[in-house]
Amino acid sequence: MTTPADIEKMIVQTALHDRSAFSALYDATSAKLLGVCLRVLNNRSEAEEVLQEVYIRVWQRADSYTVTGHSPMTWLITVARNLAIDRLRARKTPTKTIDVAVDLADDKPGPEDAAIANSENAKIDSCMRELEPEHAAAVRRVYLEGETYKTLADSHKVPLNTMRTWLRRSLLKLRDCLTR
Amino acid sequence: MTGTDDPNDDNALAAEYVLRLLDVDEHRAFEDRLREDARLNELVRDWEKSFASVADEVAPVRPPAHLKAKIMNVIAPDTARAPKGRWQWLAGLGALGVAALIAFVLLGPILRSPGDLSPSFQAELASSDGALVLTAGVIPATHEIIIDRLVGAPSEGRVFELWLIALGSSTPVSLGVLEAEGTTRIRVPDDIAPGVRTGTIAISDEPPGGSPTGVPTGEILATATFTDV
Repeated sequence: MTTPADIEKMIVQTALHDRSAFSALYDATSAKLLGVCLRVLNNRSEAEEVLQEVYIRVWQRADSYTVTGHSPMTWLITVARNLAIDRLRARKTPTKTIDVAVDLADDKPGPEDAAIANSENAKIDSCMRELEPEHAAAVRRVYLEGETYKTLADSHKVPLNTMRTWLRRSLLKLRDCLTR
Repeated sequence: MTGTDDPNDDNALAAEYVLRLLDVDEHRAFEDRLREDARLNELVRDWEKSFASVADEVAPVRPPAHLKAKIMNVIAPDTARAPKGRWQWLAGLGALGVAALIAFVLLGPILRSPGDLSPSFQAELASSDGALVLTAGVIPATHEIIIDRLVGAPSEGRVFELWLIALGSSTPVSLGVLEAEGTTRIRVPDDIAPGVRTGTIAISDEPPGGSPTGVPTGEILATATFTDV
């Protein structure tokens, strides 16, 4: 079973440009990161392209991992999510593609993938539950699907500033709860 | 939105930054502040950590096999030394254990030889396929690392280079190139010496004279940490 400590070791050795460690890191984490890219981009080929960027970035910048103080999966997920968002924002026109859920049915994760799932989720989950369900859903969509104030305001049919005000309020409530 | 006295403002702003909700100007202004504001960096990291947990709900999706081949080719286009047929990380651990045990048994008597200048810490450096086994011993009094190559040799026209990665650092520091034959004694600079006991040492495959860049350029063949003798 791959533990966070194993993944951390792989990242540190990747920083030394150890290809075997990098290869092992890819095997242990790429399915999770493709899942993240796919959720943001909702397009298989774009998600795979971004995944490639993610691992090239990891190869080049693994030495910056330690300064973040993040757990290894937090660091990897943050890199993947940000590159996917960059790609999403770079699209000229937002495309709504066919729902990927159908595609994914065959790609069941192996036991390895489950083992590395971040286990720090209990707190954010309980704090999200303290928000209005609608607001919690909006925060999740912003993180995982790259929604913007504009798209949120449109879908909730409220002015952009109103949307920003209530989302910021939710974020601060979330922070209060997380630091409690 | 910026410039208010509300102490929560930076906290919300950091969240919006992490979520990529800021517009281009706000984003840039925030990044300018990030470069000099440690507290702001901390807020950003806290939010990154919290939001990354949101991704727990995302189901993994296996990438197609060709994608990995493509990525490996981009990061290491040198196909002659591609990881073809190389050991698998976990499967190799068994061999590593065996190699380490052999090294320990072989080296035990040497390391334990009496005298003031016997090594106080030792490490076994073994590649996971067991094709390369080296031992390293440290004599704190003289700041020397003594490397013995027990199994394996550099390939034709290549050398082995020894590196130290201090605890908490991710930057390897070269300790020197190993002799082509027999034992190598390396005197560790005084400023680095205190980090040897807790650091990680590594052996890489390099061109003659060692890495020209100051960081490993070839494959990392083995890594180890020291234990007290």
